[in-house]
Amino acid sequence: MIFRFWYFIRETFVSLWRNLSLTLAAILTVAISLALVGSSLLIREGADQATAQFQEGVEFIVFMNADALENQNEAIRKVLDTSPAIKEYVYVDKFAAYEEFRELFVDKPELVESVTPEIMPPSYRIVPSDPDADNVTELARQFSEQPGVKEVATATEAIRQIEDFSTRVSQALLVAAIVLVAVSAVLILNTVFTAISGRKTEIEVMKLVGATNWFIRIPFMLEGTIHGLMGAGLAVPALFVVDSKVLAYFQESEAVPLFRGFAVPDGFVWSTSIWILVIGAAIGMIGSAFAVTRYLDV
Amino acid sequence: MIRFEAVTKSYKGTVVALREASAEIQRGEFVFLVGPSGSGKSTFIRLINREEVPDAGKILVAGKDISSLSSWKVPYLRRQIGYVFQDYKLLPKKTVIENVAFALEVIGRPRPIIKRQVPAILELVGLSKKADRLPEELSGGEQQRVSIARAFVNRPLILLADEPTGNLDPATSVGIMRLLDRINRSGTTVVMATHDRGIVDSMRRRVIELDRGILVRDESRGVYE
Repeated sequence: MIFRFWYFIRETFVSLWRNLSLTLAAILTVAISLALVGSSLLIREGADQATAQFQEGVEFIVFMNADALENQNEAIRKVLDTSPAIKEYVYVDKFAAYEEFRELFVDKPELVESVTPEIMPPSYRIVPSDPDADNVTELARQFSEQPGVKEVATATEAIRQIEDFSTRVSQALLVAAIVLVAVSAVLILNTVFTAISGRKTEIEVMKLVGATNWFIRIPFMLEGTIHGLMGAGLAVPALFVVDSKVLAYFQESEAVPLFRGFAVPDGFVWSTSIWILVIGAAIGMIGSAFAVTRYLDV
Repeated sequence: MIRFEAVTKSYKGTVVALREASAEIQRGEFVFLVGPSGSGKSTFIRLINREEVPDAGKILVAGKDISSLSSWKVPYLRRQIGYVFQDYKLLPKKTVIENVAFALEVIGRPRPIIKRQVPAILELVGLSKKADRLPEELSGGEQQRVSIARAFVNRPLILLADEPTGNLDPATSVGIMRLLDRINRSGTTVVMATHDRGIVDSMRRRVIELDRGILVRDESRGVYE
């Protein structure tokens, strides 16, 4: 059995080496398509995280200045308590905001160190009686004119912004990725097919001396699987680059405050990486399985 | 050892390669299949190791009906049958010894057995001294010896040979026939398709003649005609 194992390994790598240019093309295509799949997943997750504060009916958030005076806060609270337009609200003070920030950026201690509770804006997360978009916009406008208010983020506007953005980007990436995944499967199929046709006599002899079908198939299927895995192996570091460069870029964005929440936990990057490897191996296996069943005729 | 019961085989539904052929070949026999090109000789051989499946009739090999053999069992059938080609089908990048060992490797024989059997079989075919040569460095006759060594190294019950001397000159062919005869005397059933009148007439073994798919003659100690 050990002997067979080495036989398969040897045959597989000899074949990979023989078709080097096709092998590289297949691996690179897998890498690019899986990097896109992964980025798309990361951006989705980032958007989910960024919009997490708008859950449970919260339609808009009033951010106070970090140095807002107590009487300014009281004025806001009074309106919130008495206005029939407001159903309920939650006050998040600067310490709670700091806590949330720390949780969100638990993987990025340097970012957490750069802030203190003192500079965090306290906020009111508000559930209006009527979640109609026009109504929310009007309420937001009223609050934004109050003294001490830094800005008002409405779910409709902010979430739409982020969701629009992330949906558009991640869908575009996903479409490109799906096309490329198909292309890479076909490319693997082709590479394995080339490997098969380069070894016609060998396969014929194997069949006639009584090698089992699986014995003949396994090196070719391993070859395809290795294409997929190697491509995925290249895509994984690309994901970490996307996480540390691209998503970080949004986090530093001044234009849209909510993008600051655009973070993905490291754990998510790792689990996405594992998925990428699994998908890569699957693409390789499927591509090569097609090739062996169609062209090997055993 | 091999029994054909009214075996019919046609290709693409129209060309009849074999029509209701019946024959029985005993263990240890040496049988020539003769007839012009397209008479069904190759089909006869390919039916025995199940490269082809009959349209009608039954084929028994070593007591088993192979016409209904499930496909995963075919490799195990073929391990009992050696096969020699007209064009040798040696792997050009492997040496003589590697070509022969290959047949054992791919059916998962343990290395010690391969190490023992391969040199022994090369000795038998007279190629011990050329074990490390590549096929292209050998003459046609030597290449055919390698091919026979590969077919016989697993000690099959049956050896099938499709025009094994087809590419060889008469003097070389005699050497190949001596080798096949020797293999046959060790108890292996040999079925050989051939055009070579001289060989058939000089060996005086059983002759089965096919003509356009019909078995027209079956004689022990026959001649080519």
